Amino acid sequence: MRGKLKQLSLGVATLLMCHSAFAADAAAIPRMASGVPDFTGMWAGPGFQHTGTEVDNPTAALYDDKRMSPFKSGADKTFIRTTGDVRIDDPTAVCLPNGLTRQIASPYPQQWVQTDSELIILYEYMHFFRHIPLGEPNRAHAPVFENTYMGDSIAWFDGDSLVIDTVGLREWLLDAFHPEAGGSRWHSANTHVVERLTYTDGTNVNYEVTIDDPTTFTAPWTQPWAMQRKQTWKLFEFICEDNNRCEAGVCQAADVQLDDQ
Amino acid sequence: MSNMKNLLAASLLALCPLAASAHHSFAAEYDAANPVAVTGTVSKVEWRNPHIWFYVDVKDDAGKVATWGFSGGAPGMLMRRGINPDAMKIGDEIMVEGFRARDGSNNASGGKVTFADGRSVFTASAEDVVPK
Repeated sequence: MRGKLKQLSLGVATLLMCHSAFAADAAAIPRMASGVPDFTGMWAGPGFQHTGTEVDNPTAALYDDKRMSPFKSGADKTFIRTTGDVRIDDPTAVCLPNGLTRQIASPYPQQWVQTDSELIILYEYMHFFRHIPLGEPNRAHAPVFENTYMGDSIAWFDGDSLVIDTVGLREWLLDAFHPEAGGSRWHSANTHVVERLTYTDGTNVNYEVTIDDPTTFTAPWTQPWAMQRKQTWKLFEFICEDNNRCEAGVCQAADVQLDDQ
Repeated sequence: MSNMKNLLAASLLALCPLAASAHHSFAAEYDAANPVAVTGTVSKVEWRNPHIWFYVDVKDDAGKVATWGFSGGAPGMLMRRGINPDAMKIGDEIMVEGFRARDGSNNASGGKVTFADGRSVFTASAEDVVPK
């Protein structure tokens, strides 16, 4: 009996300690006047190795194939594509868009602006943006008349977690998986993406991305990532077509090279 | 002071070797199996998107000069690493290590630049293969 009491009190103490730790973290979370977490700020998304300093290392963040659910029958053939056509094998080489699932992991910063009713995400890479209405959980999306690269996103809060729900995506790249690794990886036009963001302290956010692509996979699967706030960063211009001199592997000579021709 | 800033940037970068993928596939444009290293004089710097380009006049044994073009990271990506437009100037003597363009031209990815005073800077994009 005494042993059980001891175990019980240890358990309660542990719970209290955990609760205190959570409370401390919760107090560090930036919040809107309404009390919900405020994600306004400059962020190094999953496409960076986070250092805790202002000098993060941009790097490739690929979805982990070990986390993916099994393929639907035959879907492995549409998931990885190697065609010899750069517009399929690597569309960004000719300045076509990343698409949502790859943009999330882009190794360029993103700026988030949150109000009580909406969330704006500005991506440096290719100047993409998202306008995401905030509202009631699990409400219906507006009618989607045309599937797009970034889809239709709506968001809500689930406790202290921000949930962003996206449908209406066109069939496009999953991530930056490249031809040298065997081909590009694609999701279908039936893909539903759920992003779930939860502060772990005042600077760091768990960034879970659930890919629900019933055309390709037998079940939804989740990729755990993170993003980190950067106080001194700002967005720079990124113009893909400005001076893309070796587009698709054919280099144009610069003026200083013309005498060598 | 500017030199100190550049030295600091180079030191930081030396601690941050870059991994590979962002704007486009490195493999679509450059051949990781075909490394190149040249030493010469900077003749032009294009601080432009989507990748900076810098050009190096390289003299061969017979004294003939060829101008090599090297691609680096996006301007914003480099500036966040502490590499600013004044880090490399026309007339600088540099050694560049990278990988040749697949089309066989005198163009390459320019992953690593070493200045005459020994400073070494990683100029590669996030998607590039980086020289060791």
